[in-house]
Amino acid sequence: MRDVYAVGIGITSFGRLEYPLSEIAAYPVMMALRDSGLREVDQLYVANMGSGRVNHQTGLASAVVDTLSLTPAGAEVIENGPASGASALKQGFFAVASGVHDVVAVTGAERMREVNNLEATEFVATLTHPIAESIYGVTLPSLAGMFTRAYMEKYGVTSRHLAMVAVKNQNNALLNEFAHLHQEISIEGILDSPESMTNNPFVADPLRFFDCCPVSDGGACVILASREVAEKTGRPLVRLAGVGQATDTHCVHEREEPTDLLAVRRAAKAAFQMAGVGPSDVDVAELHDAFTILEIVESEEAGFFKKGEGHLALERGETQRDGRLPINVSGGLKGRGHPVGATGIAQAHEIVLELRGEAGERQVEDPKVGFTCNFGGFGNNVVCLVFRREN
Amino acid sequence: MPVDLEKILRPVDRPMPPFPPKYMTIASGEEMVIRQVDRDEIPDVLSHVAPLMAVERDFYDVVAARVYAELLAYYRHRMQDEYVLVAQIDGEICAVVNGRMVDEKTGMSLHTLSLRRGLRIGAHAFAAKMEYHMDILGHDEVLVVAESPIGFRRWMIEYKLEKRFDIPHELGGVPSYALTRPLFERARGTLVIGRRPVPEGLLAKAKEAILPPSDPPTPPEDLMAATRSKYDPTGTALILQRWVQEGKVRG
Amino acid sequence: MSREIYAYRCRKCGHLHYPYRMVCAECGENEHNEFDPVPLPKSGTLLTFTDLYALPADFEVPKLGLGIVELENGIRITGQIAVAEPRIGMKVRGEVEVVRTEAYDSYYGMVFREA
Repeated sequence: MRDVYAVGIGITSFGRLEYPLSEIAAYPVMMALRDSGLREVDQLYVANMGSGRVNHQTGLASAVVDTLSLTPAGAEVIENGPASGASALKQGFFAVASGVHDVVAVTGAERMREVNNLEATEFVATLTHPIAESIYGVTLPSLAGMFTRAYMEKYGVTSRHLAMVAVKNQNNALLNEFAHLHQEISIEGILDSPESMTNNPFVADPLRFFDCCPVSDGGACVILASREVAEKTGRPLVRLAGVGQATDTHCVHEREEPTDLLAVRRAAKAAFQMAGVGPSDVDVAELHDAFTILEIVESEEAGFFKKGEGHLALERGETQRDGRLPINVSGGLKGRGHPVGATGIAQAHEIVLELRGEAGERQVEDPKVGFTCNFGGFGNNVVCLVFRREN
Repeated sequence: MPVDLEKILRPVDRPMPPFPPKYMTIASGEEMVIRQVDRDEIPDVLSHVAPLMAVERDFYDVVAARVYAELLAYYRHRMQDEYVLVAQIDGEICAVVNGRMVDEKTGMSLHTLSLRRGLRIGAHAFAAKMEYHMDILGHDEVLVVAESPIGFRRWMIEYKLEKRFDIPHELGGVPSYALTRPLFERARGTLVIGRRPVPEGLLAKAKEAILPPSDPPTPPEDLMAATRSKYDPTGTALILQRWVQEGKVRG
Repeated sequence: MSREIYAYRCRKCGHLHYPYRMVCAECGENEHNEFDPVPLPKSGTLLTFTDLYALPADFEVPKLGLGIVELENGIRITGQIAVAEPRIGMKVRGEVEVVRTEAYDSYYGMVFREA
């Protein structure tokens, strides 16, 4: 098995994009090819969840490979719910690591705003179990709400901690030119002021409006290649060193422990093992904060903080951009947005940018190891990635 | 002669107690003032509403065009018993709401137009309107309709408005919903929000001038411009398509 | 007529599953459909809950109570919670009722009330 490098990256703005899904997927590939100086790829992977249901376009990868004039390269869509992006990167990794391909482009895209908000929520709710969850009107936010309540009861996390994550991430996004949200918020406005209940109403009690990520369109791409190709591009060498995945029960109520995210724990462990580093080596991380509670819990399950102490680290400012372990300097899903298929790749995009030292105003100081966690379903399919800088 | 004609054409407004201004902290931490405006300030408001008629999404164009018409009618004395409230942050206009008094006991909510997104300002503005009808004008009922699905969910479903389908609403003649006094009382906690009196400095700034919104909804700059990406200063195949359309390049 | 929600007992090792799976989680020795349906008990303890305000289009209510209940036999189930002031750990009792209606289809599930 040979080493795999991220040689090119590209991304669109996240937000509301008024054009076809295939172009939202293709544009970042063009940017990534330009970034790497490459003209061709051996294989294209397209991470996407909603093309069939929301955008009435199936066989998306075939459309994308054609619009990019990359035919006859092979192409497939990879679907793993919100973890489609990292899953696609995993497939790309295997393709290059196995020696079968030298250069693969992994792009992710989603155009959720082609439909209205209700339909978008319903679309995401198709992730739930049809007989034991969906019939009750269960949506992802409701699963997160129940999880949050149990977590608050067991570990003492409060609404204030959730609000702190929301403020941190949404304000981090102010420095991210691609982010969906460019709106500053404050704890005063969303929690403390007498009008905070109107500013920040409940979505799934105890989760509130600003605890949930927006519905976004967007695309991102990372080109993976062998060392030989990487060296020829002359770009900084960033290696995709570790890939880990784990699944858990489909129904949230069947999880062994209602307050555990076992799949995150296992996937992170596997990724670190492959990469030959540990949580304490990580300098910058992009976690999946579709709901603010998830950033706190994932930071514990990945091994950065002890179980039940993630919110304490947040209080101490450890996860701020200038903290010991900056989490979601890009704004995370909360601030950058969450086009479902693109997110996993956008997380990788940010980590590569940081490890290269090209993150501009949001550059973290001299990072060598980066980590991403892409959370599928509600924690029943998680893919974690570890990137390392090599020069 | 002209004076007599005008007297016939101009409606006589019934007395309506003014809306006492109030203020609230919004999600960004900034303070917003909601106050009533008189006819003399309407031209300023109109200039800020006009650009929204070109924004085709989320029914902004329809709402802006109708608000423009209603405000202009108010200004030119061609609408009876209308009121207009504006929400301002640091003098900048961020929402306009208006409505009418149908009779002493019934109000008609016309529009809620938000000029700044992402901060739930519309929710505050709508609530202020309902408070005006119920608490200050003393109405028993307010008729409401919604042009957009967002409005429908936020008002009709959230407040469980009663159907009054036999009453066509002035906006497009569609079946109305009503906020009744019992519904209002039950939702008082979410409909009567904000604080009074407005601190002197804050109110003075708001009254000084109605400044243009700093981040209004705009039509997308370039339908073909995919991104604000710093990696693409020169253009892409997508922008090429636009150039072809504009005749700058041969297709 | 009282309706039931069924769990599925593996014929080889007796492990109880809810909801249905094709292969036994415990012994993995099953062939497809080697399960016996067993009605679930209706009483249990509320493990966690939420009030959902952002509802799918077919729910025309302002909010919906949802929760996870641990039933008497240890099996956990997601259901609608019709309790005015729910508390983690409270005893609840369920009934199988219509929980969702989409167009002309009705779906039955567990609705829990204070025991």
